Amino acid sequence: MPDVHDRIVITNDTKFLGFVREFMSRMIRQSALSREDENKIILAVDEAVANIIEHAYENQREGTIEVECEADAKKFLVTIRDSGQKFSPDGIQTPDMDGHVKSKKKKGLGIYLMRLIMDEVRYTFREGIQNELVLVKYIGGKPKAPQA
Amino acid sequence: MAEFNIQTKKLTANIVFIGVQGFLDAHTFEEMEKTINDLFDGGTYRLVVDLSKLDYISSAGAGVFIGAIGTAQENDGNIVLMKPSPNVKEVFDLLGLSQIFPFANDIDGAQKLFA
Repeated sequence: MPDVHDRIVITNDTKFLGFVREFMSRMIRQSALSREDENKIILAVDEAVANIIEHAYENQREGTIEVECEADAKKFLVTIRDSGQKFSPDGIQTPDMDGHVKSKKKKGLGIYLMRLIMDEVRYTFREGIQNELVLVKYIGGKPKAPQA
Repeated sequence: MAEFNIQTKKLTANIVFIGVQGFLDAHTFEEMEKTINDLFDGGTYRLVVDLSKLDYISSAGAGVFIGAIGTAQENDGNIVLMKPSPNVKEVFDLLGLSQIFPFANDIDGAQKLFA
């Protein structure tokens, strides 16, 4: 049974990003995560949701995005679900910031930040059902992989 | 939650101060982008951006400055960022932008960077 568990559902409009950040702040403060991680994890989730708002629903079709948080003493887990088109963050390259500045490119940094901040980012696409993005932050550090 | 707000003020003939307040994210970045583009269109490329009242910035917000600093520098200008809060500075650090943008603690210090 998780110590912290709640969810919100928003429509795909950037005006609701503030609502997502407030929800995340509440969840983080109820969890065992340190305050030092609060801004970064709010940022990672904001980036994930903003990305879905921008890419998932074609032709500005209205859709919903669910943000669910579960946390216990060892990990803080955020699951973000939408029913828009497939968009996997796996193929996005790490940006070269000097190149970004030289080419005056403004976008493509959100997924990089999300990966940088979280310990795990897992994406699943279920045809005709939904996209599911799972972001994990381990409390007290990422557990070591088992020895072979 | 602080309302998003941008104020501009001419410091000298070719340096403009931009004060930004609230949350600079995927919802508000276009307003910031328009402010900077309007200044560029008017021939002003030396900008001092006061971030001391900015509560939050996401990559969409930082992207406005990333997209604009090249144009400013090509026109003998720059974008000097002033007094970011720890949360905002953290995002610039995470993106590796703290080496790319000049930072100042006050208006005098910012203006000296254009000298």
